[in-house]
Amino acid sequence: MRFVLFAAASACVILSACGGSETSQANNAQANIDNDASPPAEANSTGNAMVMLAAPPTRAQALKVMHDRHEAMEGLGKAMKTLHRALDSSPADINAVRAQTSIMASTAAKIPGMFPGGTGPDVGKTRAKAEIWKQPELFVQKSKDYLAAAQAIDAAARAGDLTKVMMLHDRVDKACKACHDPFRAPKS
Amino acid sequence: MTPNRGAEQPVWDLPIRLFHWLLAALIGFSWWSVKNDHTDWHIWSGCAILTLLVFRLLWGFVGSSTSRFSSFVRGPRSVIAYLKGRWSGVGHTPLGALSVLALLFAVSVQVSLGLISEDEDGIYMGPLARLVSTDTSDTARGIHEEWFETVIVGLIILHVAAIIFYRLRGKHLTKPMITGRAPLEPGAEPMRPGKWWVALICLAVSIGIVRWVIAGAPPFS
Repeated sequence: MRFVLFAAASACVILSACGGSETSQANNAQANIDNDASPPAEANSTGNAMVMLAAPPTRAQALKVMHDRHEAMEGLGKAMKTLHRALDSSPADINAVRAQTSIMASTAAKIPGMFPGGTGPDVGKTRAKAEIWKQPELFVQKSKDYLAAAQAIDAAARAGDLTKVMMLHDRVDKACKACHDPFRAPKS
Repeated sequence: MTPNRGAEQPVWDLPIRLFHWLLAALIGFSWWSVKNDHTDWHIWSGCAILTLLVFRLLWGFVGSSTSRFSSFVRGPRSVIAYLKGRWSGVGHTPLGALSVLALLFAVSVQVSLGLISEDEDGIYMGPLARLVSTDTSDTARGIHEEWFETVIVGLIILHVAAIIFYRLRGKHLTKPMITGRAPLEPGAEPMRPGKWWVALICLAVSIGIVRWVIAGAPPFS
């Protein structure tokens, strides 16, 4: 009985995982078809390549980009965590809040540039999924959403408007997750 | 093969069976939800498991005869006697009791670590994560992951393996955990049930305690 339950649960998970990747690939294929079919000039086949930076010339340089990217993302996570606690302390520590939102806004601006071609999972250890380079428009759009959220919360923090910072906090969280869910692989 | 000729008698009461199957389901759900980017569901699932644990602890003192710790927690001499075939009784065997205690302990550690953990992106925090530093919270999450992958998964494998082992020797353990009844040796005393209203009080107390934890504990931070 237990075995059956476990087997069924595992099967469901495996199936759902397969379904997920198939769906995203299907979406991707659909997006390509849409791009090819839709007339606007920027949506042609070279449009995809223009969105992301070109690959670093050597493997060592690619690994350097991946390493720096990891550090920057870790720093971003740390800023998010520190922000949580700074907002929770009473009275909220506005200087600590400003320091974190400033890191968030400046790192957010760099995100699309941190993912040039040739820095994916086929090159080295990274949780960046190959989907990033298969769906560059979507990826760049998600990073822009995050940038907008990070800049908004940073502006509110610089203006000293804590109520607005708290309100925008949720938007920032959602923007992080909206890009991580499709484009970041789980920890292995 | 031990012949089970006795008539079916109650051995596990409803609270114990619900506790058992809900715990199994929620552990599975916790694992699935966190692996599939539903960290918020994962945290709620952990809070539900905490409620179950507190309930089980209380029911272990005031519940039915087979649910009480005093009825099944035994010393090494009883375990040896059981292994030599010199044990008769209802409910957890002296060896099975060790497994129960190990599982309860392992899940309690897991939940405690989860309470003070935060996710790697700083989006989700366990209900008590605010009481500790960012570094402590991140360390707790690391141990929370390791503890599951080694201790909890290990105990689950052992648990299922033991059930299969007993099944091969002719003893059904899964069905009694569903129906609550098992054939007993002639003369064995069946379970003495607990009182339903005591179970409700235990449930209310455990929900109350978990609400307090969710609120951020001591002074409702």
